[in-house]
Amino acid sequence: MASDQYTRDYADHLIEQVNKGQMTRRQLLVRASVFGFSATAIGSLLAACGGSDTDTSASPSATGMPAPVMGGTLTMIGPAPITDPDPVTIYDQGGIILVTQFLEFLIDLNNDNSLKPKLAESWTPNDTLDVWTFKLRQGVTFNDGSPFEAEDVVATVERLLDPEGGSGGAKSQWGGVLDPGGTKAIDASTVEFNLLKPYADFPFTVSGGNYNSAMLPRNWPGEILDNPVGTGPFMLDQYVPKQKATFKKNPAYWGKDSSGNALPYLDGLEYVMVEDNSAQNLQMQSGAIDCQPQTIPQGAQALFADPNLRVDEYPGTGIREVAFNQNKEPWKSGGAALCQAVAYCLDRVAINEALWAGKSIIGTDTFWNSEAYSGLNDMPADLPRAQDYDMAKQLLADAGFPDGLEIELTVAKYLENPQLAQLIQDQCKPAGINVTINQMSYTEFYAGGEDYYATTPWIVAPMTIVEWGSRPSPGIYAAAMLLPDAVWSSSHWNSPEFLSTFNEYQSTLDETERKDLGGKLSQLQFDATPIMVPYFIAQARTQKKTVFNIQGPGSFYCDCTAAFKTA
Amino acid sequence: MLRLIGRRLLLMLPTLILASILIFALAEVLPGDVGRSILGQYASEADVAALNRELGADRPLVVRYAVWAGSFVTGDWGESPILEIPVRPLVMEALGNSLLLAGFALVLIVPISIVLGVFSGLRRDSWMDRTITVSTLSMTVIPEFVSGVVLLYVFAVWLKWLPVSALPPDGSPFYDRLYYLILPAIPLMFLELGYIARMARVGTVQVLAMPYIRTAVLKGVPRSRVIFGHVLRNAMVPTVTVIGSQVGWLIGGLVVVETLFAYPGIGKLMVDAAQSSDVPLLEASVLMVAVIYMLANLIADIVVALLNPRIRKGG
Repeated sequence: MASDQYTRDYADHLIEQVNKGQMTRRQLLVRASVFGFSATAIGSLLAACGGSDTDTSASPSATGMPAPVMGGTLTMIGPAPITDPDPVTIYDQGGIILVTQFLEFLIDLNNDNSLKPKLAESWTPNDTLDVWTFKLRQGVTFNDGSPFEAEDVVATVERLLDPEGGSGGAKSQWGGVLDPGGTKAIDASTVEFNLLKPYADFPFTVSGGNYNSAMLPRNWPGEILDNPVGTGPFMLDQYVPKQKATFKKNPAYWGKDSSGNALPYLDGLEYVMVEDNSAQNLQMQSGAIDCQPQTIPQGAQALFADPNLRVDEYPGTGIREVAFNQNKEPWKSGGAALCQAVAYCLDRVAINEALWAGKSIIGTDTFWNSEAYSGLNDMPADLPRAQDYDMAKQLLADAGFPDGLEIELTVAKYLENPQLAQLIQDQCKPAGINVTINQMSYTEFYAGGEDYYATTPWIVAPMTIVEWGSRPSPGIYAAAMLLPDAVWSSSHWNSPEFLSTFNEYQSTLDETERKDLGGKLSQLQFDATPIMVPYFIAQARTQKKTVFNIQGPGSFYCDCTAAFKTA
Repeated sequence: MLRLIGRRLLLMLPTLILASILIFALAEVLPGDVGRSILGQYASEADVAALNRELGADRPLVVRYAVWAGSFVTGDWGESPILEIPVRPLVMEALGNSLLLAGFALVLIVPISIVLGVFSGLRRDSWMDRTITVSTLSMTVIPEFVSGVVLLYVFAVWLKWLPVSALPPDGSPFYDRLYYLILPAIPLMFLELGYIARMARVGTVQVLAMPYIRTAVLKGVPRSRVIFGHVLRNAMVPTVTVIGSQVGWLIGGLVVVETLFAYPGIGKLMVDAAQSSDVPLLEASVLMVAVIYMLANLIADIVVALLNPRIRKGG
C-alpha cells in the first residue's frame, strides 16, 4: 500500500500542477480519482487549488435538474445483443447495456472518464504501482441474498483470466499485467492485485472501462439469463430474445443518494430491442420511448431539433481501427512508409462529415487525442495528418511501390464499417492505391478455429477495420492492441521502443513525466502508423426532457441507478 | 370436394419435400464447407475437418438431409448456435406474429380491394373507374419503406393518433394488439390494393361481357341479383387465386415493414438468421414459410372450387 508520505507527495504534486496552469481542475479530478482519492479528499485538493469551482463531473443532464421523483418505468431503445449475453465474453452494446443493469463494477466511470467508487470504496497503489489494494464496500449483497465479499472479486477475476476460455476482453486489458493467481483476498473486504509490472492505469481495468469485469458471485454457475445474480440496482425480470428485456427494482440495493434516499428511484426498466436506427429515432420522436443510449448523428437531425427531447453529447472514445498487419504483405516489406502513404490519402474531415454528420473527433492515428480525452491532463500536443496526395505518392515510392499497389481490406458488414471501407477505397485511388474490399458477415469476420487468434479474420487478414467501444484512457487502447503481446492486435506491430516507453509511462504518476512519455508514445505510433484511427466517435444520448441523471460515458454504458422521470 | 382436398394435400407432400431439399441445399450445401463457414477463411484444415466431424457435416449429403428432415418432422428443430436457444419456439412465435399481421392486413385489403375493383368494373371507363385505377396503382408503386416512414411520421409522431410500435405492452387485450397493427397494415394495404382491385375489375369486366349476363338482364333479373348472384361469383375466381398467391408473401416477405415497426415476425427472423449464418434457424423459418405458402394456395384452391362447380366436380 502507498505510504502516507507518498500519498501526500502525490496530492501536493497535483495541486502544484493546477496552480502552475499545467492541469485543469477537472483533470485533477480525473487523475486523483484514478489514484483512489476519496470524494472528500478530492474536494480538499480542489479547495487547496483555490479559484472558482467551475469544473464538475456532473452530466449535462444534471444542469437544472429538479428534485428526484420516485417510481415509474424507464424505457430504453437499442440493438439486441448479438449473441446470447454472457458477461464473461460479452462485447456488444446491446449485451453490455443489458447485463450492466443488474451487474456492477468495482469502480464506475463518470461521463468524463473520471472514476467513481462503486463496489470498491477506495483503492491505493504501493509506491512502485505494482500492487493495488482495494477496500470493498461493506453490507452489499447479491440479489440472491448472498453477501458480496473479496472472494467474489477473486473468483470473478480468475474466471476472466481462465487459460481454458475466460474472457478475451478482459485479457486484452490484463495481458502482461495480471496473471491468474495474482488476485488475493486479504480479508472479507480487502482485495490485493499483485501485478506483473507497475501499471498506473490499473483502476481503469477494473472499472466499467473493462466491461467484462462486472462482479459475479464466487459460485456463479454460468448462463446469465438463467442465473442473473448481481449486486446492481435492478433485477432481470423478463428476457424475450430479439424483442425486449424488462427489469424491476432491486429492493435490497445498497445505494443511497446524498439525502439518504434509497436508490434506484425508478421501479423498473424496459429495454426495447430495435436494430434499425431510423425506426429507433421515430420511436423516440413519437414519445413512446424515454431514452436512446446511443444516437447516431447521421440521420438523427430530427432528434436534435425535437423540443421534447434532449440530446446529451460527450467527447467519446470509441474508434474504428484500420489495421495494417505487419506480418503480411505488402505491409511487411513496405513498412512504415507504406502505412503512412495510405494514412495520408484519407480526408478525415470528409469522412467525419459523411459518416457522423461532422460530430466526431478527427483522429490522427494515435490514441493520445486531447479532444477525445479532454479529462486527462497527460495529453501531449495533437499531431496533424491532413490529406496529402503528393506526400502519399512520395511515401509509396519510398516503400518500393512507385507504380502504386493493390491491397485488400477485410471488413464486416456491421455498423458504418462498410461505408468507411468504401470511403478509404475512393480516397486511396488518386494515389494509385487500389483497394479491394473483402466484405463478410459479422459472424464470419469474428469466426476462428481452435487456435482462435491465429485463425480469425479480424486478427489474421492483411488489412482490417475493427470497431472498438469506448476505452477510458489511451493507455488501455495501447495495451489492448499495440503491445507485442497484445491479445487483440490486428496490426501485430512489434516495437520494443514503444513497449519500453509504455512501461515507463505506466510506472509513474508524475504528471509532467506522463505527458512527456505520452508524447513520445504518440509520436512513435504516429511515425510507424501500424493502425489508422480516422475518428473518435463522439457520443450522443437522447432522452425525453423529463428524464434526468442517466450516467456513464460511451455507447456501452447507461447507468440508471439515480435516473428518474418527472411528469 | 373432399377428393379435391385430398388430392391437393397429397400433392403438397412432394412439393414440401422438394422445397425442403432446396432449402437444405441453399443453407448447407451452396455456402460450401460448413466447418469453414463457421470457423472462417483462415482456420486450419485440421480444425475445419474436426468441426465437420463434430457437426456430422462430413457424412454423405443424403444422410445429412435425412437426419435433418427426420428431426424436423419429429419436432426437433435444433438449437440456434448464435442465440443458444431452441429454434422451434422462436420460429413458431414469429410465425404467429406474422400470421396475425398478415391476417389483419388481409381483412382490411380483401373487402376494400374487391369493392373498389368490382365498382370500377361496373363503371368501366367512367371517371370513377379511372380515379380508382390510377390511385390504387399509384399506391402500389410506393415502396413500403417510404409509405411506412411517412405514415409513421404523420400518424404516430405528428398527430400521435396511432402507436409507433407494432407490439402493445404485455397483458394488453387482443383488440389492443389489432389497434397496434393498424399502422403497419396500411403500407401493406397500399401494396396489395391496386393489384387485387385490378384483378377484381378485370374479372368483372370479363363476366359482364358474357352472354349469360346479357340474358339475365334481358330477362329482367334485378340488377342487385345480377351483380351478387352472377357477376361477383364468377369475377372472384381469378381474384381469389391472386389473393392466395399473395398470402405467402404477406407472411414471409414483410422484412421492411417488420424492421420499420420493430415487429418480431418471421420475415425479419429469416433475414437476421441469414445475416448471422444461423443455419438451423434459417432452415426452420424458411421451411415454415414454404408450408404456409402451400396452405394458403390450398385454401385459395378450395375457395375457387366452391365458387366454380366445374373445378369442384372435376369437370
